[in-house]
Amino acid sequence: MTSKITENTRWRSLINVFLKEVGIGVVLLVLVVAFSLAAPRFFSVLNVSNIFTQISINTVIAVGMTFVILLGGIDLSVGSVLALCSIIAGKALTNPSLPFGTAIVLAVTLSIASGMLIGFFNGFISETWKIHSFIVTLGMLNIARGLALQISHSRTIFNFPQIFKDFGTTTYFEVFPAIFLIALALVVIGTIILRKTVFGRMIFAIGNNEESVRLSGHNVKFYKVMAYTICGGTVGIATIMYMLRMGIASPILGVGFELNAIAAVVIGGTSMSGGKGSLIGTFLGASIMGVLNNGLLLIGMGDFARQIVTGAIIILAVILDTYRNKLSAKFNA
Amino acid sequence: MKKMLTLAVCALMLTPIALMAKDANKKNNDDPLVVGLIMKSLANEFFMAMEEGAQAYAEKDGTFTLKTMGMNSETDFDSQVNAVDSLIIQGVDLIVLAPADSAGMVAPVKRAIDAGVTVINFDVTLDKEALRAAGLPEEFLFVGPDNTDGAEMVGNYLGEALGEGGKVFILEGNPGADNAKQRKNGFMKAIKTHGLELLASNTAHWETEEANTLMSNLLTKHPDVQGVMCANDSMALGVVRALEAAGREDVLVVGFDNIPAVKELILNDKMLATVHMDGTEMAVLAFNAGFEIIEGKRENLGWVQSPLKLANKAFFK
Amino acid sequence: MCYPIDFPLSHESGVLMAANKIIELKNISLVFPGVRALDGVDLSIEEGEIHILLGENGAGKSSLVKTLCGVYTQTGGTMLMDGKEYAPRNPLTAINSGIRVVYQEFNLLPYLSIAENIFFEKLPKKGCLVDFKKLYSDAAAIMAKVGLDKVSPKTLVEMLGVAQMQLVEIAKALSGHSRILILDEPTATLMPDEINTLFELLMKLKAEGVSIIYISHRLNEIFRIGDRVTVLRNGQLVATKKASELDIPSIVKMMVGRNMESEYPFDESVTPSSPLLEVKNLIYQGNPHPKSFTLRKGEILGIAGLVGSGRTETMRALFGADTKAAGQIFLNGEELHITSPKNAVEKGICLLTEDRKQQGLILEMSCVENTTITDLKSVSFRGFLNREKETEATEKQISEMNIKTPGINQKTLHLSGGNQQKILIGKWLYRDSEVFIFDEPTRGIDVGAKYEIYLLLWKLASMGRGIIMVSSDLPELLGVCHRILVFSDGKITGELDRKEFDPESILKLSYSEYLNA
Repeated sequence: MTSKITENTRWRSLINVFLKEVGIGVVLLVLVVAFSLAAPRFFSVLNVSNIFTQISINTVIAVGMTFVILLGGIDLSVGSVLALCSIIAGKALTNPSLPFGTAIVLAVTLSIASGMLIGFFNGFISETWKIHSFIVTLGMLNIARGLALQISHSRTIFNFPQIFKDFGTTTYFEVFPAIFLIALALVVIGTIILRKTVFGRMIFAIGNNEESVRLSGHNVKFYKVMAYTICGGTVGIATIMYMLRMGIASPILGVGFELNAIAAVVIGGTSMSGGKGSLIGTFLGASIMGVLNNGLLLIGMGDFARQIVTGAIIILAVILDTYRNKLSAKFNA
Repeated sequence: MKKMLTLAVCALMLTPIALMAKDANKKNNDDPLVVGLIMKSLANEFFMAMEEGAQAYAEKDGTFTLKTMGMNSETDFDSQVNAVDSLIIQGVDLIVLAPADSAGMVAPVKRAIDAGVTVINFDVTLDKEALRAAGLPEEFLFVGPDNTDGAEMVGNYLGEALGEGGKVFILEGNPGADNAKQRKNGFMKAIKTHGLELLASNTAHWETEEANTLMSNLLTKHPDVQGVMCANDSMALGVVRALEAAGREDVLVVGFDNIPAVKELILNDKMLATVHMDGTEMAVLAFNAGFEIIEGKRENLGWVQSPLKLANKAFFK
Repeated sequence: MCYPIDFPLSHESGVLMAANKIIELKNISLVFPGVRALDGVDLSIEEGEIHILLGENGAGKSSLVKTLCGVYTQTGGTMLMDGKEYAPRNPLTAINSGIRVVYQEFNLLPYLSIAENIFFEKLPKKGCLVDFKKLYSDAAAIMAKVGLDKVSPKTLVEMLGVAQMQLVEIAKALSGHSRILILDEPTATLMPDEINTLFELLMKLKAEGVSIIYISHRLNEIFRIGDRVTVLRNGQLVATKKASELDIPSIVKMMVGRNMESEYPFDESVTPSSPLLEVKNLIYQGNPHPKSFTLRKGEILGIAGLVGSGRTETMRALFGADTKAAGQIFLNGEELHITSPKNAVEKGICLLTEDRKQQGLILEMSCVENTTITDLKSVSFRGFLNREKETEATEKQISEMNIKTPGINQKTLHLSGGNQQKILIGKWLYRDSEVFIFDEPTRGIDVGAKYEIYLLLWKLASMGRGIIMVSSDLPELLGVCHRILVFSDGKITGELDRKEFDPESILKLSYSEYLNA
């Protein structure tokens, strides 16, 4: 009897996974097939590798953003924080008194630590004074940008160690750029955290019904602040990836990154009101955006038309998502 | 406990205000001439360098007091309007303005002129139609570079290097920005002169990362490309990285602005050339034109061209 | 053991005879994927009758109502209205046909006035502006009809009590041309005198020829107002009978399909022993009256009082749910300093909130996730969850508590009210505490499930746990508790031992502070 229930539920949960996560994958698959047919070079090793590079940074920021959005919050500061972290890490990286190795380790550590610290502030302020994260992170967006400009005197930082820049353009097995592998690893680690740990369970539970979780005897504030800290941490990692890819650090970079990350999360099926979503979805969402940007250019579409089509497909993907949810609800009824 | 925290956070938030206030309170002495320099975004290195250069010049010159004002972003024209108005109230003698919006800034300029302030337009020209509508002369004095000329100059340099039939991309600036249009026009002239083949012309909105993505995508589509013309150096940085990632050392890149980061690229043959534009020099030209008008030596009409130089490997040696 | 409470009321059922049928349902079936919600149900509603619809949760009452008012479309059978076919395409067509529903969960806009709520669907207009004069006068007329004449039609709905909100809902339902008024559990949150007012109103409407379909779990109400009774079970019709031909045991048998020995179990063999929880001079924000009481091991302590008398607030203060509270709390003689629910839970006190949907369950999550949330440590290792352990623990709770669910991964949203309540209890049983505080544990659930919950309380008591049960259902308190504390206007006004139990004196104590004021 027991085993039968388990088997039945396993089967059901498999269908659920398909409906919930693979659904958006179908959109991606359709796009890939269509572009492959329309543009002969689209499915080449070089181009696939390019797309992997191009979605990496957005994917990593969106991973952190998913944690925050799952709680029903939002982090608008990620783009500015990326700029601030890049200046801090850039200063460390180009410090002439440090040997290369030390400078690189210091840059990576400082970038992630600063990101986490700012994320912690976002969460802590929002939770302690019960201010919506939209406002707190909007404030932080300005603070971080201002700090980045102040510290750097608006100057772009360059002249990174060659070994650092070389790693940024390294590609494994012809198609897997180093920074893409970092992004992939974060998606996997994030998925394990969300699906397999107590922490992840609490994130979903709080996103669905915070009061119930509190009354079940949990320290809700701790988990919420942690989620913002994680988001900040991923921004710190994304910063390093940006510096690897571009070989510069600048106080004006990252403008609008928050919107791309939010779009990836939402296309991936995570609910803006929290409690529902997945990192696989987020990854697929970021992929769809990257594929669109790349594919539309390859079929020769102009700048403005590309913008229009990208916007339309984002909306369409989310509309499709609501149908998928209805189907899933019907199945579970 | 929470009260303490509230206090602590408030204090933390106020610290930057206290620090910044120190700068703002610099008193002006009774020097007869007060000049207000209104730039676009100080987040742009070009204006940041200009501000520092202009301050240094004012200090050395010693005959006038300089007030500089920068905006938060390139398109923040609301605060530019406020800046003009506040300078009028403070009774400055000369306003030197780089408009964030060519048409939108005409009205405050008119207000300043009516209030007896001399206004010099620099960096970006004011809109001719808007000037006429406001009852100001269409050929209102402009101090600034000829973007078209500069782009054509660096484009020709690339054309010479490639030879006839060379295949190129153009990476454009923000669609709608005057200087973006002018630079593209200059590039197009050079393409015509040297019989180059234009494979693609797309915008990357002046941005490094977007230019990097665009370049790697364009490389897939047109692997036979030989040269890239970038409307600014920030985009050229992204293009050079994309070429490095693709292992392409045969593609020549030119840019515009000469930001510090490109020097090393040009010296290492990663970039062919850029256009050197000196912000401080342009500001000083504008100051002097203004002083001449105040002294009655010059009419407020015409175009004072600020020089543009080709910055190639030889330029940096 | 059952204490009948009778409120005399002029009762004229059976006077209106041979009335014509307004609506007739023939062989109605409603099938969802995997679920047969209704299975060949016949039902007829006569003009000016109060028709009671009974059944356990999940028996098909809601499905039937939703089919009637156009939310669902039947998959088989026909509906006739005045002898013609009636097929509402959506709730609006049903409303236009004169069928109005007052749901258990109110559908009011709290920041609008009573008048605006009543006429929300068709505000009177003058040109393109709202004609407020007419709006308020029309609203006042309808409000007088439903007995809501003491408040201004301009009052914001959020200022009203539950009973008044319900009257607003009824007023809204009567604002158009209503022939059939459907009430879903209208008395669940009402106090006895509010219930009396409601019943008088229903009688008045009935006399005006409005037919009423009345859904309730409170069986004694049937005989006070009902003309005919229809019982559903598992989506099928059991029977439709005249109320006068029925008594409680026969109704329960029809609903449950089996005999229950008594409505309330009381186990004489479980006797309270030493003091477990001592509360001394507990006060909370907004209430200056210190409260002291003691709970013993193996005791079921009832808390009676009107809604808003401070029962729930006191329990929340005890549990640390709201920030500002003071006083001393001793558990097994040791003083506790409870500042948060986390604190209380760790010390062995748990609270099952009255609002199971908003504060109790996480509806969008599964039975497993809801069950183990109180003690994730026991199903995890170094922060990683162990699915097998979770499954095992949940299956144990589900089988022990006889919870009906298609699987442990079913979202609790899709369970019936009684089973949701059992999951909520199950999650606290899973953690195990010394003190269990139940706030309205049986509200809105059916007789069978109620009985099972009482048995659970007894099981906990026999294990030496202390149980506090807050309830608005006086017969339930009288039937199940060892002792009852009575709250009135923020004070404890009485304490009665089982041998002193008397409904009249409890009611008097409940009202005592309000009468003095």
